[in-house]
Amino acid sequence: MTAPRTPVFELRGLRKTYGEGAAEVHALRGIDLHIDPGEMLVLLGPSGSGKSTLLNILGGLDRPTSGSVRFGALELANASDAELTDYRRHHVGFVFQFYNLIASLTAHENVELVTEVADDPMPAEEALRLVGLGERLKHFPSQLSGGEQQRVAIARAIAKRPAVLLCDEPTGALDVGTGILVLESLLRINNELGTTMLLITHNADIARLGDRVVRFADGLIRSVESNAHRVPPAELRW
Amino acid sequence: MRPLDRKLLRDLRRLWLQAVAVGTVLACGIAIFVMATGMYGSLESSRDRYYASALMADLAGALVRAPDRLAAELATTPGVAGLETRVSGVGLITLEGVVEPVSARLVSLPVDRRPRVNDLVLKRGRWPDALRSAEVLVNESFAEAHQLEPGHRIAVLIRGQRKSLRIVGIASSPEFVFAVAPGDILPEPRRFGVLWMSREALGRALDLDGAFNDVVLRLQAGADRANVIASIDGLLARYGGRGLYGRDRMLSARYLSDELSQLRTLASILPPIFLLVAVFLINVTLSRLVATERANIGLLKAFGYHDTVIGLHYAKFALAFCMAAAVLGIVLGNWVGGYMAEVYQSVYHLPELRFAAGASVYLGALGVGLLAAVLGAISAVRRAVRLAPAVALSPPAPTEFRRLGEYLERRLRALDARARMLARRVLRFPRRSATTVGGISLALALLIMSEHFPIAIDRIIDINFGITQRMDVTLTFAEREHERVLREVARLPGVQQVEPLRTAEVILSHGVRREREAVLGIPRAALLNRVVSVDLQVIEPGTTGLTLSGSLARKLGVRVGDRLRLEATDGRRITTEVTVVGIVQPFLGSAAYMEREALGALLREPARVDSAYLLIDAAQRDRLSALLKEIPAVVGVTFIDNAERSLRQLFEQGAGFFSYMFLMFSLVMAAGVAFSAARVTLGEQERDLATLRVLGFSRYEASWVLLGELVMLLAVALPLGLALGAALSRWMMEQFETELFSFPFVFDVPTYARAALYVTAAVFVAALWVRRDVDRLDLVAVLKSRE
Repeated sequence: MTAPRTPVFELRGLRKTYGEGAAEVHALRGIDLHIDPGEMLVLLGPSGSGKSTLLNILGGLDRPTSGSVRFGALELANASDAELTDYRRHHVGFVFQFYNLIASLTAHENVELVTEVADDPMPAEEALRLVGLGERLKHFPSQLSGGEQQRVAIARAIAKRPAVLLCDEPTGALDVGTGILVLESLLRINNELGTTMLLITHNADIARLGDRVVRFADGLIRSVESNAHRVPPAELRW
Repeated sequence: MRPLDRKLLRDLRRLWLQAVAVGTVLACGIAIFVMATGMYGSLESSRDRYYASALMADLAGALVRAPDRLAAELATTPGVAGLETRVSGVGLITLEGVVEPVSARLVSLPVDRRPRVNDLVLKRGRWPDALRSAEVLVNESFAEAHQLEPGHRIAVLIRGQRKSLRIVGIASSPEFVFAVAPGDILPEPRRFGVLWMSREALGRALDLDGAFNDVVLRLQAGADRANVIASIDGLLARYGGRGLYGRDRMLSARYLSDELSQLRTLASILPPIFLLVAVFLINVTLSRLVATERANIGLLKAFGYHDTVIGLHYAKFALAFCMAAAVLGIVLGNWVGGYMAEVYQSVYHLPELRFAAGASVYLGALGVGLLAAVLGAISAVRRAVRLAPAVALSPPAPTEFRRLGEYLERRLRALDARARMLARRVLRFPRRSATTVGGISLALALLIMSEHFPIAIDRIIDINFGITQRMDVTLTFAEREHERVLREVARLPGVQQVEPLRTAEVILSHGVRREREAVLGIPRAALLNRVVSVDLQVIEPGTTGLTLSGSLARKLGVRVGDRLRLEATDGRRITTEVTVVGIVQPFLGSAAYMEREALGALLREPARVDSAYLLIDAAQRDRLSALLKEIPAVVGVTFIDNAERSLRQLFEQGAGFFSYMFLMFSLVMAAGVAFSAARVTLGEQERDLATLRVLGFSRYEASWVLLGELVMLLAVALPLGLALGAALSRWMMEQFETELFSFPFVFDVPTYARAALYVTAAVFVAALWVRRDVDRLDLVAVLKSRE
């Protein structure tokens, strides 16, 4: 039996409300969750169930209305703008459905954008090799396919060796074959670097990839299940 | 309202700041167009109306003395519509409380009727009574300068006799719209007045009883001008006629036509610059709008909207704010024009000079607005029309970037990733970068140009009073005096040095070309009044022939060594031949020079002087002034410091307002360009900026990408704008050049630095304004949306 590990995130009574009065929307209605180092956590649920809101709060893009989110010693709920910027800069990587690469920078340079400001980054080439793009360093986004662009986005997200990688529907805009390539890259990073990973998806099949699956509905966690064994991406079908 | 029009209104509301930025630039251009074109029309028609109603002379001439009976014969010369023989002379006015002498031009009025030529407009008071010899009218600007009113008395020294005259009325005349003292080149109402008095009284005072010494006439429509001149000159020759001349040599008329041509220059140069910049800004703004609305365009087309309807929708967008800009420009132009008309009125005293631009100017302004909209919108509208619905509905591929070539790429390696983003963007969109650079540099150039005008004038005045005219006092004699007068002048209290000047009115001809000019006879190694060239070298006059200005030499078609025919129109009126010994570019004023004694010898009138320049002991100034007023031979006394002061005042009145206005307009242009560029850049880079923020760059680090692009373009625009400003100033000064003035080109470092600073500040204000939007970026919304 392994010794109990210190969680990466500790969430208590997390609530998020948008708007006021009649237009009030409760995106999160009280979430308690802890996420362990190296864990691959899949967030599953219909649109508007609160999973993206949670991911944004964990990523330091948004603040909860009440409750607590601890990242190590840092309380994200009342961190200042500068602290959040610093947190994003050194500890979190993001992958979005739309890749959000900078069109005027090559694949290599997109990754460098991060390695230039991070404390202990891996070389940009290595990050790109990890996602299987060691050959296409000098290509601009417009010269890459969707899957390749998404893998550059992943390389850019992991190059700083973040403690956490947050992925919001990373395969949402891709076909199955390409989606599998992207998921394999993510899995490899999770395995080789031990990066904690949160992955949002609509797709129940992809959930089989994770250590745990958290199901959301109406701003609440409905269930948390552990997968006995993680299915490799190549075996997934959707 | 149709849904598309509703969308149009909402788009305008959403992009109002950008529409305002572009619209203001356009409005400034239209305002200048309305102001300059309208002012030109108003001034021209006001002048023409005045000339027509007050019977402005077409031809004028002076003579020594002719009997009155000749008048009838002159008036019946074929081609003459109206003719007036007059008595005219000069005098010195003594005003209470005014220490220094004031020159007066005295002009006779016919008995019992109004003048048939060069009639007066009586502003206040009444006409002089022919039976009361001491009644006079004074010109309006002089009356205003000294607060003279009907009923006041003034003392005038005429041919050594002091007369006390009673002002009975204030008048203006087309002949003296600009009242310039003899020997001066600019109007100074405090120091020069025109007095009209009855023919008899003035005749007696000037010793011209039953005679006249001045002719003014109007030509019949279609009259043969040359024939009239020949006939009248022939009749007057034996009475000392100096030859008739046209409006081109009447100082006042010349000033007015110079002013008109400068307004025309203004109207033709400036508005196109603003229009050009506005067109580019509209193009950039609209192209961006079409790019962001790609999906909407696809959707509309998928719903079955016609291409033309969609094209029209975006064209209307440009049309809406261009028309608003045109209306704003018209209002602004009218306002500025109205103010300018007041300034002109205070200088010219034209009757009914009101700013009225007229329908054609307003239509022109609306036309300019329409043109800007069409030219600015055309490429974006075409893009919207050509977008295939299926393509428009699918997400756009990332903007294509390519490597910039090995050399540039190697240099880029030295920069960080954000700097590389900047460099690639600037070079990837060369046309837009060029628009921003062009707009900012044009704004800077415009600013420099507007600042250049007062500097050039300052420079003219500095050189005129620092290098050329170094005397303290100028004396003008009533008649050509023997040079022994200089010895008397030298004995006056406080006079330290005396230097003579001799002038001669001549007609120079070479082949068929004839030019009427004054030859200045200046002493060798002159110290007090020197002629200097445009490069500020002192010009020494020749003893063996004439030195001509470049423009006069061109008009006569002569080169150094050529022989010219010279007819003196006064004095002994000899006709002789003279060699051109030099051609120079004088800085200011007259056009032919010769050494004084050599000129006297050539004209067979040695030892004569017309003016004297004095250096004086400042402590004796008042005593000297008082004494000079008593010397009959002296009709003009100019204290040079007064002349300088009034000259500066005159220019500040007009030029000050102009440069302030252009400063504003240039800043509007610079800020408008910077604002549009920053807005469009922000629009395009929103996603990149949000990405940078998510990747952990702070607001300021991310803003750097936005501001860096502008800073980079500004860095290119500044030197370009400075060079363009210098070129434009030089060119504008050439356009403004008249026969009386050539404007020097001055490279004044502080002015250029100040202009660059203003433009930089305007760009920064605009950029920082837009930068605030980086703080407001909704990171999540931007990143999750499809582009």
